[in-house]
Amino acid sequence: MSATRTVAVRTRLTELRGTGLLRTLGLLALLIITAGFWIFFSAFATGFTSDFNLFFLLRSAAIAVTIGFAQMVVLSIGDMNLSVGAIGGATGMFAGWLMQVLGVPPALAVLLALALGTSLGFGNAALVVWTHLNSFIVTLATASLITGGMLILTRARPFSNLPDSFLGIAQIELGGVPVAPLVLIMLGVALVLGLVYRSTSLGREMLAIGANRQAARMSGLAVGRIVLVAHGLSGLLAALAGAMSVAANNTASPGIGSDWVLASFVAPAIGGTLLSGGLVSVSGTVLGGLLVATISSGLLLMNVSNFWLSVFLGAVLLLAVGLDRITRTVGGAAS
Amino acid sequence: MVAIWRRMSGVALGLLIVDLAGALLLTVVTPSFTSTYNLFITGRDFSILLLVALAQMIVLAVGQMNLSIGAIGGLVAIVESGLMVSYDTPVVIAIACGLVLGAACGAVNGLLIHWTKVNSFILTLGTSYVFAGVNLGITHATPFYHIPGAVASFGQARIGAFPEIAIVTIVLAVALAVFLRQTVLGRQLLAVGGNPVAAALSGLPVRRVIVTAHGISGFFGAVAGTLLMAQLGEGQPTIGVTWILPSFAGPIIGGAVLAGGSAPLLGTVFAMVLVSLISDGLILVNANPYWVQFFVGALILGGVLLGRVRAVGLRDVFRLKSTAPPVTDRPAEEPVPRRPAEQK
Repeated sequence: MSATRTVAVRTRLTELRGTGLLRTLGLLALLIITAGFWIFFSAFATGFTSDFNLFFLLRSAAIAVTIGFAQMVVLSIGDMNLSVGAIGGATGMFAGWLMQVLGVPPALAVLLALALGTSLGFGNAALVVWTHLNSFIVTLATASLITGGMLILTRARPFSNLPDSFLGIAQIELGGVPVAPLVLIMLGVALVLGLVYRSTSLGREMLAIGANRQAARMSGLAVGRIVLVAHGLSGLLAALAGAMSVAANNTASPGIGSDWVLASFVAPAIGGTLLSGGLVSVSGTVLGGLLVATISSGLLLMNVSNFWLSVFLGAVLLLAVGLDRITRTVGGAAS
Repeated sequence: MVAIWRRMSGVALGLLIVDLAGALLLTVVTPSFTSTYNLFITGRDFSILLLVALAQMIVLAVGQMNLSIGAIGGLVAIVESGLMVSYDTPVVIAIACGLVLGAACGAVNGLLIHWTKVNSFILTLGTSYVFAGVNLGITHATPFYHIPGAVASFGQARIGAFPEIAIVTIVLAVALAVFLRQTVLGRQLLAVGGNPVAAALSGLPVRRVIVTAHGISGFFGAVAGTLLMAQLGEGQPTIGVTWILPSFAGPIIGGAVLAGGSAPLLGTVFAMVLVSLISDGLILVNANPYWVQFFVGALILGGVLLGRVRAVGLRDVFRLKSTAPPVTDRPAEEPVPRRPAEQK
């Protein structure tokens, strides 16, 4: 029984990996599209290639990618996390409160905020695992609890007196290049996540659960523990994105995270992460976040109304999931 | 009345009792609860939010979701008020255009989901941004003020404590109940939600059912947007942005199953009464308004937990390695097999 189940999981995972060539082509296409937008905006959007603009573009890309990672890790196990924005906002406010009101050193404040984010993620996981409730409804409810709790405690007052050493991660340029330190943080996170999914048993187990949870459970994987890790990681990454946003905005404001739902799905979806689980692409998520930031920045410089950006992002998401669907159908037929 | 009583589910009955207890408590604690004006305001907000919840309930019934209800409501309100204010369109025509647009937006959701087989959550998340973007692209976030007096006064009209817009809600809720119980399409809708594969194999028109469910959802969202526009007296572009939580709170607390196949109309009604009582109670005792969001989140969690307890029993709910299959999970994108050709 267990052996056949293991085979079932393996087959499903191989099937998903069978789309490898298509996925490489997809990543290449994404790279070409992103490059195309860069060429287009360099030519037609005045100031696109200025150091000033590149600094902001890369910074917002780094935040978008981190938000995307927070969603990607739960998508990998076939769950979703609607509380990414709520966790980012609440932990950002927590970090701001620690630094401004209690005078906690920035490094410690960020660590505590990350710990809070992780525990909120664990809370989601506990509800999902112990009760078998759908992750959508659990995280919809916890998002409302977390945001509500944050607003009650802070009375929606922002913290805008933050130490320069903290704001530096988003405000200073590294060695004369228009790159904020948080871009490097994002790349470091990407590297770690890439390693986790490529070469660790934890990463493979997460994907196995995402591919077929029932079969993974039957073949003896500790599903509960792995779900706990994935949701905890999601909370950690959401908190990291929250800290980044606070530094980028100079202020811990209660509105942070309120518009992350779409952003969190767009970057992984464009990058080829399967929304039904079992397949992730770390480099795709990075490119996806970069593409979104590029288009936002370019359209802004070309004075295209910000509101049409929302139409555009919605359309991009629909297109990406449509392609995702086609890739899978073709890949499934090929294997 | 007796028939309704006999058909009432355990959840609906439980919620009704909680509602009555809550109303009694509020009457005792805060005398202003029973004032005509407070009852009118509460009833008016309830009338609109109930439509939003029913819009979600009907798509949950086919095992799908609609995250774009608020975006549809906002877009419809803007189109209607824009037609009335900027183009002097007669009220009836403007509202008819808006409602048709809302139903069409919903139907497009349904068609796209059926054709692409993309998870309804992601698809309607995408279309919600498209609808909201068009709304803001048209208005640039500026409301259409000065809608015709007839519309605005309907939004404020009352008979004693009874808000006139509630008539619309009552008529639509009853019509929905009749549709689900008495019509072939309504029965097919619940059958498709219960088991889409079996429904497709037995020859039910799955596409028509899905498109109908989403069309009704869009229509209800559009009516809610219209009523809120009438109540506010202007076409606010922000109409609908906060509807996601209440839309799920009603049906989920009311006993709907995410996997589909159930449409607990009475449960949804009583759940929304509870949500309204809590919001109103918190306002009356001058609590921090953010408690409302907190409580609604807690109610949803409590509601689904109770549902789980009813399904598998208290002892199994928190058992870590339960062998019972999860009742609320179903592969979101299960392919629907075509009917074999020889059966034709």
